[in-house]
Amino acid sequence: MANSAPLTIDCAGRATRAINEEIRRAADDGVPEVELLNPQARHNLGVSVLKPIHVVYRGHVGSFTAGLCDGITAEVHGTCGWGVADNLMSGEVVVHGNAATSAAPSIRGGRVVVCGDAGPRSGMILKKGELIVGGNTGYMSGFMMQNGRMIVCGDADTGLGDSMYQGVIFLGGQAKELGSGLEEVDAENGELDEVAALLDRFEIKAPAKFRKLQSDRKLWHFNKHDFAAWKDVL
Amino acid sequence: MSETPSTPPPAHAGDSSVEVLEDAAPAPNGAYPRPDSFSGVWPPEVIEEIQEKAALGRYQIRGQATKRRGLPSFDDLVFVPAGLSRMPLEGYREKCDTQVVIGEGNCENPLVLERPIMIAGMSFGALSVHAKRALGMAASRCGISTCTGEGGMHHEERRYSDKLVMQYLPSRYGMNPYDLKKADMIEIGAGQGAKPGTGGVLLGLKMSDEVAEMRDLPEGVDQRSPCRHPDWMGADDLYMKLEEIREVTEYKVPISIKVGAARIGNDVRIAAKAGVDAIVFDGMEGGTAASPTIQLDHAGIPTVAAIAEASEALADMGKKDTMKIIVGGGIRNGADAAKCIALGADVVYLGTAPIIAMGCHKPIYLEDYARLGTSPYECQHCHTGLCPVGITTQLPKLMERLDVDEAADSVTNYLNALTMEIQLFARACGKNRVSDLDPNDLRALTYDVSLMTGVDMVGLGGRTPWWKKF
Repeated sequence: MANSAPLTIDCAGRATRAINEEIRRAADDGVPEVELLNPQARHNLGVSVLKPIHVVYRGHVGSFTAGLCDGITAEVHGTCGWGVADNLMSGEVVVHGNAATSAAPSIRGGRVVVCGDAGPRSGMILKKGELIVGGNTGYMSGFMMQNGRMIVCGDADTGLGDSMYQGVIFLGGQAKELGSGLEEVDAENGELDEVAALLDRFEIKAPAKFRKLQSDRKLWHFNKHDFAAWKDVL
Repeated sequence: MSETPSTPPPAHAGDSSVEVLEDAAPAPNGAYPRPDSFSGVWPPEVIEEIQEKAALGRYQIRGQATKRRGLPSFDDLVFVPAGLSRMPLEGYREKCDTQVVIGEGNCENPLVLERPIMIAGMSFGALSVHAKRALGMAASRCGISTCTGEGGMHHEERRYSDKLVMQYLPSRYGMNPYDLKKADMIEIGAGQGAKPGTGGVLLGLKMSDEVAEMRDLPEGVDQRSPCRHPDWMGADDLYMKLEEIREVTEYKVPISIKVGAARIGNDVRIAAKAGVDAIVFDGMEGGTAASPTIQLDHAGIPTVAAIAEASEALADMGKKDTMKIIVGGGIRNGADAAKCIALGADVVYLGTAPIIAMGCHKPIYLEDYARLGTSPYECQHCHTGLCPVGITTQLPKLMERLDVDEAADSVTNYLNALTMEIQLFARACGKNRVSDLDPNDLRALTYDVSLMTGVDMVGLGGRTPWWKKF
């Protein structure tokens, strides 16, 4: 029988393994929400939770927060270390602060929202799902993206979307340099409205306009006549 | 000459047509006589290499392993079995234990190998599902493990492999928490001996619809995998990543980390500090389904040198008894394997040899070897996806050529023979456990291998090698 009472866990002084086991047990028991107090920038909090539950992190968290989860929702009230929501299968993780390097690495579904800035390598090898960055993002963001969607409201550093196979990047600000194999295309009808509505949901201010970037597919197969594109990526 | 003589023209693997072989331009190698008048600086193979690059406009890519000769090798070592100073064990009577346990005391379900052998990581994609199934059947009969390789865990492989290691690689193809939980060990991949420092390659003809779906890639694309994990970069991050994987697997199974043998001493120290249960590495002789040829021949260090360096580093870290060393790269027979163990390895990691045992290079379908411009015993065309014997292909018509039961029997036979050979050396050296082989059981035939391994030269002795310090 589902347990409808929210759970509060004070992380201070407790082992990460014990905290994660308690979150997983709560999800198994149908607890709708767990609140984590005093995360103290600890790594690997909320890893591998595979049943639906809402996790609220009250404070800064370390690396791989909510890593390898499926079907959870989470909100982080603080900044995140490396690799937030690593390999997320489905669900939604919202960071109400900044995220360090490698936000949402290799996610295979769901949505990761960083309301502030994201570090380098955000959305690297994104497979499916979506990464939204409310502020700026660092170098090599979207590197080797395989599919899915990345929305960056601010600026991007060098190498944005380099060598991406599929998927799209919406960029609101400037890119210091676009990566190899990208092309700019027109957004489809209603696409930008849908992006604006989504940003509104997370109270992120939408930029005046977006550029839509996607793979030009020239790197899908080697072409000796296009060596300029390949010299950097082979 | 076509755009890519060593890379067949684009075709969909799902076309299931062997006719695509006919479109592959024959490569010129093997077409000339080799008289003594050829230049030593510019022999025909060097000229061919330049001609091919001139046509391709990129580096060459091929499968299998380096063709270099003259590398320091296991052949530079010999065993010094029992005489009067030691008593040998009866080869056909007395037991010689071969079991190895990985992760004992560090996880709930350590990996128990009945023999000091593991099948190396080779992806579904690089290999056909039939080949993966045959490897699983043979390994299960022998009480050893197989490994998923890069492409994710195929359900057939899990079904046929009693002990299955799942690789966790930079590309994260097919990665998900459910398959990680199904694995009997996790191997965090950070490099391979055939191409240390670079990512994987899978050319378009092998990117079938099923392979592409498992990897979240477009069908038929030339896949280039990242060489670096997206979310950890160094020693301290590895510790955090390790904790994440232990959380996913609930501290039940061991975790190893794999590198290509290069700066192996330092790599072992970092892995030991991070707290893995085993370090896996293959030397520059290590196999591959597709690598830049130049990388195969000019990067990494030979396996025999790497083991000595790794063993010393692990002993130096005080973890020789708790962390295992798993070694691959050019291991052909029980002598090579036993020498690895004597030098400090706990387990040998076999990829190419079992593939050869199941039929790679088999002199059948000669016309299809010829279409690839090659022949049995020299074929290294795994990268093309047009494997004449149906092992490294995703084309259904070619895959059908591999009889799974027959292939499983052949691999089992080979593994049995190899195990007997390892035991033969252990018994001859008076050891009732294979793991008791040590560097004192060896002598070096060459000064360079003596120097790099610390093994005494034949006919000499009396100096203090590194292992005697521990």
